Amino acid sequence: MSQAPVAPAENRTSRARIRGAEALAQRLARITFDTNFAEDRFFLILSVFIGVFSGLAVVCFRVAIDWSRIALMGPLPHPSAWRIVGAPTAVGLLVAVLVIHFFPQVRGSGVNQTKAALYIFNGYIPFRNAIGKFLCSALAIGSGQSLGPEDPSLQIGASLASALGRRLELSREKLRLLAPVGAAAGLAAAFNAPISAVLFVIEEVIGRWSAGILGSVVLSAISSVVVMRWFLGADALFRVPVTAFTHPSELIAYAVLGVAGAFAAVIFSKSIGFFRPRLRAMPRWTQYFQPALAGFLIGLIGWFGAPQVMGAGYDFIDQAMHDQFGWKFLAILAGLKIVATTLSFVTGTPGGMFAPTLFIGAMLGGAVGGVERHFFPLLTVSTGTYALVGMGVLFAAFLRAPMTSVFMVLEVSGNYSIIVPVIVANTVAYVISRSLQSVPIFDVLTRQDGLVLPSLEEQREEEILRVEDAMKPAPDLVLDAAAPLEDVSVRTRGLPDKSFLVLMSPSGWSVISRELLDRMMKEGKGALTLGSVLAIQRLPYLYPDLPLDAALRCVNVSEIIPVVNRADLRKLEGIVTRDDVLSRYQADSVAE
Amino acid sequence: MEYRIAMNPPVQTLARRTPLVLAVLVATAILGFSAVSHLVTRLKANEKRIAYHAFEAGMAAYRGNDPGRALDDFRAALSYDRDNPTYQLGLARALRDTGRLDESEAYLVHLWEGSPQDSTINLALARLATRRHSVDDAIRYYHNAIYGVWPDDPDRNRRQARFELIDFLLEQKTLPQAQAELIALTQVLPPLPSAHLAVATRFRQAQDLSNALVQYEIALKLDYRDASALDGAAETAFQLGRYTTAEKYLQKAVELYPKNDPLRQQLESATLVLATDPFLHHLSDAERNRRLVSAVTHAGERLKTCAHQLQIALPTPAPANEPPALSPAPSTGDLPDLWIRWNAIRRDLRQLNTASSADLPDMLMDLVTQIEQQTAQRCGQPTGTDLALLLISRDREAADQ
Repeated sequence: MSQAPVAPAENRTSRARIRGAEALAQRLARITFDTNFAEDRFFLILSVFIGVFSGLAVVCFRVAIDWSRIALMGPLPHPSAWRIVGAPTAVGLLVAVLVIHFFPQVRGSGVNQTKAALYIFNGYIPFRNAIGKFLCSALAIGSGQSLGPEDPSLQIGASLASALGRRLELSREKLRLLAPVGAAAGLAAAFNAPISAVLFVIEEVIGRWSAGILGSVVLSAISSVVVMRWFLGADALFRVPVTAFTHPSELIAYAVLGVAGAFAAVIFSKSIGFFRPRLRAMPRWTQYFQPALAGFLIGLIGWFGAPQVMGAGYDFIDQAMHDQFGWKFLAILAGLKIVATTLSFVTGTPGGMFAPTLFIGAMLGGAVGGVERHFFPLLTVSTGTYALVGMGVLFAAFLRAPMTSVFMVLEVSGNYSIIVPVIVANTVAYVISRSLQSVPIFDVLTRQDGLVLPSLEEQREEEILRVEDAMKPAPDLVLDAAAPLEDVSVRTRGLPDKSFLVLMSPSGWSVISRELLDRMMKEGKGALTLGSVLAIQRLPYLYPDLPLDAALRCVNVSEIIPVVNRADLRKLEGIVTRDDVLSRYQADSVAE
Repeated sequence: MEYRIAMNPPVQTLARRTPLVLAVLVATAILGFSAVSHLVTRLKANEKRIAYHAFEAGMAAYRGNDPGRALDDFRAALSYDRDNPTYQLGLARALRDTGRLDESEAYLVHLWEGSPQDSTINLALARLATRRHSVDDAIRYYHNAIYGVWPDDPDRNRRQARFELIDFLLEQKTLPQAQAELIALTQVLPPLPSAHLAVATRFRQAQDLSNALVQYEIALKLDYRDASALDGAAETAFQLGRYTTAEKYLQKAVELYPKNDPLRQQLESATLVLATDPFLHHLSDAERNRRLVSAVTHAGERLKTCAHQLQIALPTPAPANEPPALSPAPSTGDLPDLWIRWNAIRRDLRQLNTASSADLPDMLMDLVTQIEQQTAQRCGQPTGTDLALLLISRDREAADQ
């Protein structure tokens, strides 16, 4: 073993200096930052950064779409025929190669992949997905495939967040939550609507209301919108004309729009649900040509007089809102957009359904409004109002996100006077759509991919068992803690119960078994009060409205659990036992 | 598929490196901002270039009276440079010209909210209001345009805007407002005959003949050979009953344009009026009486001729020994009645030289007026002295009113 060389005096001095500097840096760090940062607080700050990075990514994505559109379709308002047909076809081939060989997980919208990351893969989304989604979606949308940029933005945001979380070695629990935080940021930046983005992520990605993550989701959504507006301006997606709700009788007209929207949504949803698995099941070599074929057919639609259905179509939504098209053409555009989007989506072309849904809704709304005004000239509502409400209708009926649909319309229009028509039309559309197709489109896609993920709609429909469902009536005899044991013994003699509830003083509940009571009497403790012989620890109690799951946590503590009134904890509403709870669950599963 | 699951690091680890992590995140964000800023700047520059070309194409189409094609080009320009007010204004104008007034208004109101003092936008909104026949909105936006900020040549643009407003008000028959705008406009007119002529013409359309005459006279001072001004001044003076002035301008006009028959006829009428009117200020009593007698005589002749033309039998006059009818019975207005009254009052003519009847000249001219008006109505427009008497009658009535 060789001896370490003796350090010269200079080296010792410099080491001492370094140690001093390190100590100083640590002290400074302690002053500057709270070194006892809990992960929760760090997570909130990280959410802001995720929002910033997602916002930057979405800005780049929008720039990429614009660039590819100019490069592929040309800058002129009316591209030549070969560009209209050739660009989506050629890009379809290229995208197919990219998706099959390099980015297999970027097919479709990206909402389900993000949801799967949250529930199945512990928040893990490969960073490659973000790159692939960015490239392929920008090319596809820019070339005129009938898809939108919002869902890809959502997935890009989620991928970035996931990658950042892994890099920072966050805990598994936090890493899992990062995906929806990034998703909200991406969607908010893409749609310039933070509230809708937060609600959409809660309704469609998280699939349940979770107060724990809400703060982070909101922070990331807002910071991403701020970044997006920094670069691209604060203008809303559409110039919504002046809209107003003047008379309650107009609600009938909006309800009719809700009915039409529901049927359109069901047709759209069923088309995707029908064709997607069939095309996926076709031989592998056909996968190379499917997006190209879709692009070719969409190009033909554009060439034959409806180029409006190509791309995201926001400009044309804007025009529809301002009476640029007759109602017949609006109806045709709505139908063609369903065809075009189905073609793009079922062939696995990366891109979102958010924008096409809004497009179909706006065109359908305008068409229904036009028909209604044609037959009922006294209706004074503008086409813009119908188009606006129509967007919400399709959103509620097709994506089955009713809350998002209402807030989306309000955020986009900045007009709260149409909230009543929006709610009426959306509710009608949502109810009819649910009755005609029980499974929402995102769940259909998830199941086709062999995954089972929770959904807010299922949760809403789920019947929650409560304590009152298993509760028995309060027993006739409730003992007082101040009563002597000998009196208690007399009073309980001849009763079949094995345990008796005791009302403690000044508050709380306890229980005494007949066995304990008899033993005390045999030991000659009859003069003692009931309260003095019972355990100090009080019995847990329940309220009638609590979920039955809460009772499960208590039933092992005691044979009987009191159920008390929320306004008066000394008032007994009933009791539950373990057998009662289990029997209720059993009865419920038999009924299902 | 195998996924890497994150480990659960102790919280202390995270806490220890938090400052470093935050510093790295901030640095990355700053770098990201710089890179994206560069990217967006390049894209915007490229899009602005494309937008400018599309706008130029749109303007060419718009100037070529093809607003439909201009619409497409302006839309393309705006799709690349959405906030450009010039492009928005171009699109709004094209929309207005293609009848899409609601959409045009949406664009213009949006622009107006951004810069309410911009006269170009206000002018476009005013023109939109004129398309909608909305007088209040038009006045408001034209005034905004007149008193707003113009990018170049503000005086000319302001005058032009006020002219447009006046034309719109005249079209809408809101004459008092038109007159008020015209009076305001006279304060800022350049010393050009054409400008004063344009204002004078509009004053006449607004039925403000006095101001019209003033403007014609200013135009004539600037260019005494301006035929339109001369014609307009003469015509206006004639309509105002200022026959001396009218005669002066008509003489100049006839000298300039001797072959112009309408001018010559108008000059003759003016001269005849001046030679016939018994109420001109400078006349002596004898001359006034002579003119009254002449007027009554001409009126009677005109009445007889008209009745003959209409084959109406006039009643025989009352005997000469009946007392004079200084207070004639109320007139029924038909020719025989007028004839009876004419015959009755003719006998009063001899009293013109006496001081006993101060009201007689007016009574005589009232009858002359009735006869000339009735015969003009029944037998057509008179000529010569009868025309002069008719004009005098009208002027008297106008003065009475």
